[in-house]
Amino acid sequence: MIEVADIHKSFGVVEAVRGVSFTASPGETLGILGPNGAGKTTTIRMITGWLPPTSGRVTIDGRDSVDDTLLVRRKLGYLPETTPLYPEMRVGQYLDYRGRLFRMARTRRRAAINLRIDQCALTAVRTRRIGELSKGYRQRVGLASALLHDPPILILDEPTSGLDPSQIAESRNLIRELAETKTVLLSSHILPEVERTCDRVIIIASGKVRAQGRVAELARSRRHTVEVRADQDDALRAARGVAGVENISARPCGEGWVRLEIDASESAGDLREALAEAMRAANRPVRELTIERAGLEALFAQAVEGNA
Amino acid sequence: MRVLGAIATREYASMFRLPIGWVVLALYLLLTGVVFAAGSLRPGEPASLRGLFTLSDWLLLFIAPAISMRLLSDEWRQGSIEPLMTAPISDWQIVTGKYAGAAMFLLTLLAPTLVYVGALEWLSAPDYGPIAAGYLGLILTGMVYLALGIVCSALTSSQVVAFLTTIFALLILRIGTTLGAAAIGAPWDAWLYPLSIDMRMQDFTRGIISTAHIVVLLAACAWLVTIAVSIVESRRWR
Repeated sequence: MIEVADIHKSFGVVEAVRGVSFTASPGETLGILGPNGAGKTTTIRMITGWLPPTSGRVTIDGRDSVDDTLLVRRKLGYLPETTPLYPEMRVGQYLDYRGRLFRMARTRRRAAINLRIDQCALTAVRTRRIGELSKGYRQRVGLASALLHDPPILILDEPTSGLDPSQIAESRNLIRELAETKTVLLSSHILPEVERTCDRVIIIASGKVRAQGRVAELARSRRHTVEVRADQDDALRAARGVAGVENISARPCGEGWVRLEIDASESAGDLREALAEAMRAANRPVRELTIERAGLEALFAQAVEGNA
Repeated sequence: MRVLGAIATREYASMFRLPIGWVVLALYLLLTGVVFAAGSLRPGEPASLRGLFTLSDWLLLFIAPAISMRLLSDEWRQGSIEPLMTAPISDWQIVTGKYAGAAMFLLTLLAPTLVYVGALEWLSAPDYGPIAAGYLGLILTGMVYLALGIVCSALTSSQVVAFLTTIFALLILRIGTTLGAAAIGAPWDAWLYPLSIDMRMQDFTRGIISTAHIVVLLAACAWLVTIAVSIVESRRWR
């Protein structure tokens, strides 16, 4: 359980974080979303106790992250943004060192290292020097070291930055797997990543929370697209018959097909099923029926513009 | 204590994972070997290591900063201080662990010179008192230098800056408390002479083991390491 209560952080005259509050419950994956320089990393650093807040307070399972910092740090697995590691050490050596810092006894340490090396697909590079590894491998070494002591809370700052698409997919799967038993807090400036990994999202811009809520709610979109074989009037008539339709625009797209763009009313939500049914009843073949997944993007753009 | 040991051994091992440890070791042994062969090994010379100790005392001015420069500055530069300081360990453990690792390397540096003692024993009958005192003096002097080095290393994220500031601080200390003190004259020289580390080192070289020297040098180490801890702690509050 992470509780963040109205934290502020100033660096000289620059106020990086200006009153951020939220909570993350056990078993929840919470995403902090924001443009670069929004205050995500500063917020995360205050949660890990690396930076004390100028005002406000962070508690982890009821313990203050500054006053009880050593206790809090035991509960956290933290992957900093740039994944700082020691390039001269070998992967296995580094993980062993991290295990010793967390006071893990030898047998427990060895078992944990084997488990995480397996889980993070590091077997092939176990004896390689960290400095020789690719960015993707280094990121995974960082993740393995954050997971080593099996912390109940996992904090990941931009865990997929610099990874290629297949690595992003792998790390997303791993994070989702971990999220079943842990509280996961991750930051990102990449929308689809947060959308796919997190239950709940907080949008931060200019050091303030601009929006927060469940991804499913925030991302609700009302723009539907239908391509149907009909003439324009027939297509419009069929679509208007569906309850909840507000605005429709239609344009022909060749060979007898018409493309309809339909906005649903706020309460109606997803009309795809109703639209498909209406077209079938009118005996009009459909070749495309989609709902735009741009809800979060619009919200994000709004939040970011709001502070410009 | 286990955590402190983990930090110390990692720091110690890193000296050998990087070229720096090998370079320092090789150059030091080369220079001391030449001095030993050209000085102590000549017929008619006394069977002592005084030349080795005097040279080592000077070499430490450059060697100690080379050992200590990366202790903390490299952590700042690479950002690896962040995972370190978010692990459940205190700032004290971090600094003293690193310091202990550097001191272990210093001992490793001096250990091969025991071969020279063996050579003296084989060729004649050395007086072991001054030799033991000399080694004790070198270790204590080196530890003060390393402690000053870790303070400089805590202040910057650049190894080069840490290296140079340590050397300058040591030279100022050395010159200020000898030539400088003589130039200033009474009454200030009475305050400056006791700060001199190499005066104490000279006593050790002559075979004098003074409790006062040992206490002062150890206190200097403790004081400097405490300053380094305070600098590391203060980083959180910026």
